Amino acid sequence: MNVRVMNAAVAKTVAPDKPAAAAPAHIAATGLAVDFPLEGRKQRVLNDINIAVPKGSFVSLIGPSGCGKSTLLKVMAGLVTPSEGTMTVAGLSPQEAVNARLIGLVFQEATLLPWKNAIENAAFLLMTADETIKKSEAFDRAAAMLKLVGLDGAEKKSPSQLSGGMRQRVAIARALALDPEVLLMDEPFGALDAITREEMSECLLDIWERTNKTIVLVTHSIDEAVFLSREVHVMGTGPARIIETLPITVPHPRTEESYSDPAFTAAENRLRSLLIESHKKGRR
Amino acid sequence: MTDMTAGSPAASWASHRFWRGLYNVLPALALSVGVVVVWEAVIRLFKVPTFVLPAPTAIVESLIANWGSLAFAAQATALEVLFGFVLSAVVGVLVALVIVRFERFGRALYPLIVLFQNVPKVALAPIFILWFGYGLAPKILLIVVIAFFPVAIDMLAGLQSVEPSFVSLMRSVGASKSKIMLRVRIPHSLPHLMAGLKVAITFSVIGAIVGEFAGANQGLGYVIQFASTQLDTPLIFAALIVVSVLGLAFYYIVEFAERWLVPWAPKFDPIHSAG
Repeated sequence: MNVRVMNAAVAKTVAPDKPAAAAPAHIAATGLAVDFPLEGRKQRVLNDINIAVPKGSFVSLIGPSGCGKSTLLKVMAGLVTPSEGTMTVAGLSPQEAVNARLIGLVFQEATLLPWKNAIENAAFLLMTADETIKKSEAFDRAAAMLKLVGLDGAEKKSPSQLSGGMRQRVAIARALALDPEVLLMDEPFGALDAITREEMSECLLDIWERTNKTIVLVTHSIDEAVFLSREVHVMGTGPARIIETLPITVPHPRTEESYSDPAFTAAENRLRSLLIESHKKGRR
Repeated sequence: MTDMTAGSPAASWASHRFWRGLYNVLPALALSVGVVVVWEAVIRLFKVPTFVLPAPTAIVESLIANWGSLAFAAQATALEVLFGFVLSAVVGVLVALVIVRFERFGRALYPLIVLFQNVPKVALAPIFILWFGYGLAPKILLIVVIAFFPVAIDMLAGLQSVEPSFVSLMRSVGASKSKIMLRVRIPHSLPHLMAGLKVAITFSVIGAIVGEFAGANQGLGYVIQFASTQLDTPLIFAALIVVSVLGLAFYYIVEFAERWLVPWAPKFDPIHSAG
């Protein structure tokens, strides 16, 4: 309750219970809860999640470790079944959305097949999802996506010849080759160094602007969340839930200069204090 | 040495590689020559009877004198190893696939396999001879019970070593369990499988020799046993050399197959592995 009262004091904050925007939600959760079995008992890892992601938006989930942000992403991807409440993606259940090939996934590890080169990896999921697609068509699409992520010319390289950042670009191209409506990313740049991270953020922003996908990003990085998102959902532990939804008003197009924008700094400070607070609570 | 690399570009590259290769095997070669020289010297100096320990020269003499029968025996043993190894590989792979694919059955099967692994296989040889006679069958069976285990265990480790996020990725495009198995798990397990096969091929040679000890009328194990009843120690050693060469050849065939089948597998360097 305290959180609710405190939230009301911040003018920019949207109450988490209400849909964030007037636009129809592309991804929506109501009263969502997830229990995992732990040593024979049920452990609640997500509680009363209400979230609405407008179509074509870029939304981040941020919070301390163990706050269930990855689990929430997995529910969206149909990999985890909710124990209570509902989750819809484009009006469908996540499992239906998977079958309709609406979902693209990117993880922290690029998880490329070491025996396939870049373009074969980029085409791999598309060819797995669609058995009827011609190899040439799949490869054309994969090549186009590799170009989009800035990897043209590296099509024939094997994963061991690519840097961490380049491998992650292939993973993004692989997800985009499916032409999904929704791109779900779980700390995609978590294993990269700071400069590569910023480079990849700009690349991702560029992809989002060009493809108009709905993107949900799970991240630990405040910078990354503010730079990329339209809206940041801050999650807290015990029980894991969304404690605040913060719209990011930094103007588009966002560039290197955006980092010093007053709106950027304000959002950054707000997120930092929220995270510090929820971190302290988590420790208690 | 660098002078010798001069010449046409192709030749200089080849000779460069040759000298590099020679340099790499030089320590092992020098040590081997040293051991042989000391061995020969000790035998001559202390006049050790040949039936106790023959000198290297005596072994080579026996090797040349008995070349025909040794080659014939090697052929018989090689056939047993080949059949036994291939069957071990098939059984090992199938066991691993069944354990992973049918989880509940796997839970029942796995402890039994581990239990069976602790039965001394050498002790089974007389039973197999009793059941199947002196032919090829008991040797192949003995090889399989000895050599399928490393294949099964390594394949199992390989199938389970796939990153969970990869399985999630496949599930996110609606891939079935069988499809994940076929496209991701099995190819991922190949480097592990090859490691298991390398252990299995050396076990196969041991299995064949033990099988021949227990009862046979041909093969290198039979030659060793026959020679020992005649106190023909040089022939025993000559047969041992042939067994070693045979085992080494089989091992390198598997290693060659590994390089060809799984070029992406991390290279195994036994000396520098810690660095």
